[in-house]
Amino acid sequence: MLMSIIRKEILSNLLSYKFSIITILSTILILVSILVMYGDYLLAMDNHDILRKESSDHSGIIPPTPLGIFAKGLDDNLCRPWELQGVGVGISSEQQKSLNNLFKLFTAPDLLYIIKVILSLCAMLFAFDMVSGEKETGTLRQALSYRLKRPILIVGKWIGGFTSFILPFFIAVLLGTIFVTLSPMVDINAQDWTKLGLFILSSVIYLAIFFSLGLLISCLTHRSSTSLVISLFVWTILVFLIPNLGNILACQFIQIPTAQQLDLKRKQIMNRVRFEMKQIPKTRPDYEKRLKELQFRTIKEGDQLDEDYRNRINRLVKVSQSITGLSPAPAFTLLATDIMGTGVAEERRLKKAAQDYKDFLVKLYYIDGTLDEESEQPKFHYQRSSVKDILSQGGLSNSLILILLNVLFFSGAYVAFLRYDVR
Amino acid sequence: MLRTIIAKEFLNNILNLRFMIGLVLCLIVTVACIMILAHDYRQQMNDYNARMNIQDEIVDNYAKADHHRVFNLLRPQKPPERFRPLIIGIPGNESSGFFDYNPLPILFPPLDFLFIVTIIMSLLAMLFSYDAIAGERQSGTLRLMISNSISRTKLLFGKFIGGTASLLIPFILALLVGVLYVSVNPVIQWDGSAWVELALLTAASITFITLFYLLGLMISTFSKYSAISILNCLFIWVLLILVIPNICPYISAQFCRIPSIKEAERRDNEIERHSIEVARKLMNEAVKEFKLKYSKLFSEFESMEFGGIAAFFVFGRDVDPKYQKAAQQRAEEEPEFKAMMNAFRQKEEKARDELMRIRRANPFLDDLHRKAALQTNLAKNLACISPFANFVYIARELTGTGLRSPDYFEQVKDEYDDQLHSYLDKKIQEAKEKNPELDEESFLDVSDRPRLVFKEEPFKDKLGAVLPYWGILVLFNVVFFAAAFAGFMRYDVR
Repeated sequence: MLMSIIRKEILSNLLSYKFSIITILSTILILVSILVMYGDYLLAMDNHDILRKESSDHSGIIPPTPLGIFAKGLDDNLCRPWELQGVGVGISSEQQKSLNNLFKLFTAPDLLYIIKVILSLCAMLFAFDMVSGEKETGTLRQALSYRLKRPILIVGKWIGGFTSFILPFFIAVLLGTIFVTLSPMVDINAQDWTKLGLFILSSVIYLAIFFSLGLLISCLTHRSSTSLVISLFVWTILVFLIPNLGNILACQFIQIPTAQQLDLKRKQIMNRVRFEMKQIPKTRPDYEKRLKELQFRTIKEGDQLDEDYRNRINRLVKVSQSITGLSPAPAFTLLATDIMGTGVAEERRLKKAAQDYKDFLVKLYYIDGTLDEESEQPKFHYQRSSVKDILSQGGLSNSLILILLNVLFFSGAYVAFLRYDVR
Repeated sequence: MLRTIIAKEFLNNILNLRFMIGLVLCLIVTVACIMILAHDYRQQMNDYNARMNIQDEIVDNYAKADHHRVFNLLRPQKPPERFRPLIIGIPGNESSGFFDYNPLPILFPPLDFLFIVTIIMSLLAMLFSYDAIAGERQSGTLRLMISNSISRTKLLFGKFIGGTASLLIPFILALLVGVLYVSVNPVIQWDGSAWVELALLTAASITFITLFYLLGLMISTFSKYSAISILNCLFIWVLLILVIPNICPYISAQFCRIPSIKEAERRDNEIERHSIEVARKLMNEAVKEFKLKYSKLFSEFESMEFGGIAAFFVFGRDVDPKYQKAAQQRAEEEPEFKAMMNAFRQKEEKARDELMRIRRANPFLDDLHRKAALQTNLAKNLACISPFANFVYIARELTGTGLRSPDYFEQVKDEYDDQLHSYLDKKIQEAKEKNPELDEESFLDVSDRPRLVFKEEPFKDKLGAVLPYWGILVLFNVVFFAAAFAGFMRYDVR
């Protein structure tokens, strides 16, 4: 019986206008998105090649990841060249994109955005009339007048509906991925494939949440038009309102100075040190030693400033996650960008790596004395997070939020349907 | 009859569930948004004041008697935009140029008044109008109405006016509550021009909202069933709001490529170095020539560091004012010295012209900025297909949070730099008169320096910038209404 319901649901969806329009929309959008972001990746690689040649000692630059084609996240900022300075770390050159502010005005149309915003809406549109719509047409009453159990009907509807919704998504993503992998300019290794697989899996879980939610709303209403209006408003709240308002609300609890203020504080330290340096008489026999001591103290003071700032940012991310925990969109954004190596966790890791590199050089120069101005300096090396790192950096908790919301909404739909008045 | 239709449409809408949901959502979101953003504005003001204090502390304690060093210490700080309690500046701008920054606004763009209008109100507008015609046809009331002596034109006008009026109630109410909060908040000080800008922003928002109502109405007149109408509406809404504006910058980046900034800067530095080399060579040749021609007299002139810019090319340093003064005095007293000095000045001019010619011929940085402007303009114009982009330009330019605001701040900074230059010239001159030993390493008290006072861009300029985009929005309104009219005239009401 379950198979018959699934088959019926898939067939009725396949023949509907809704299926045609949503499939066309999602397929075009996914393919256009991958194509556009692929072009963007090639531009970023060109820029990286130029900047890498220019990079000097005590500096670092990492290449853009091909996975940024699917989830751009913070990759533009991660791939800027930086250099260690007396106090803190500075950006030595911006990307070309910084000259065109429209990039900042509008969101990157990557696959993550398409899934998070547009496909979540499509998932709700697929499910909003699954129960209330059938009630209106009278087919639900007819179906239940037979020896068909309600749990089987709702499970069959969910499986059939979600399968017909997710299949075009898989096909479009597969086509896009084949296009990207066939390109000689993109080098995707085994680790990247695993990450891409995890990203698609998390996307399916995320879309299932909205599908279950649409089904739940449909089970709570008796007219499909009411169900549609409620679905749209719930979607707006979950996808835009909670994540975007929640983050700015979190900033009100954790006071973060602007990057400009941090920069000025660094400058303040530098100027004070320059002044103190001039106070040391050059004729003193221990001039060099005192100078080094002063420089060392300055570096540590700057590090303290950076550490404090980074700790505040970490706290902000945690508070923000707590506030926005009700919505699947922030959890999915953080999880997807972390999986693809373009998220907050990757950024935190890169900063830590830059700090470790700085500490290493400082130790060689000021403590061990094995490094001087003329000797060749060790280079900065960096590898993006592995799958294991991602899961330990908070990926697991975000995945759990998504699974939990899925279970919650599906259980809600199940219970609501058991009590649903089909007359 | 028109009034009856308007009243019927109005009452029908406000008794509907979508009106209640829309009203509650608008009120809650607008008030929550303005309250949070007003608090954020206060924090940003504190941050700005903290920055100013740090800057003052640096400049007051470590300024040297050298223009370059003072300018290095003094970076004009921009205060938070006065409309920040409503609209936040371009997200991601803060991270520009800094290794440490807050990454959250990039992943989750902050929610503000723009979001309320562009997402909530546009969606609500379409939900109000998608079944205005198709829905009435399905329920059979349209047939009944048309069977009376009522023209289709009046019916469509009535539906448009009644529907728009009911749609604007949640928006206007929410905005009024928000504005009331802003006006009683002591931290937010808006002058007359700010209120005028707010009025224009409201008018632009209404133009945008009616556009989406008309779009929904148009789609409804081309659909037989409301279920199909809503799907088409949402399809177009997704394209216009969520897809087209976001894709345009990336498409324009493929067509108009910008060269690497670092590469352009490197080449620019090379050209600058080359221009100095050429000027130095010319001056060294001139020095040789003058030594032969004037021997002792020129040696004396050389000991005064040539009393002009040649000192920079030959010795690599700026001329000391005391030598400049001495050379001038000698030239006034001795005609032969004057003739030699004037001849040498001509050579100097020639070297400087050559230097400027080489620098002016530098194509790299100009090319970079020209291509960047071209790419931005292409993306901006492409995005105009979407009413969303047009409205964003209008709202941001009116409130000083748009694409032109960084350029305007640069202009304000340039004016301030000129002021500071004149101030420093005078200050250094005075300090040197008091202390002839003063050099570039000496401390200079600049505590009485002019301060940067940020003034909003003139209202006329803002209005000039937004009118073309507003025109496009009005045009969209007219086109959608005309299409809805044409569709309804041929609509089969059975």
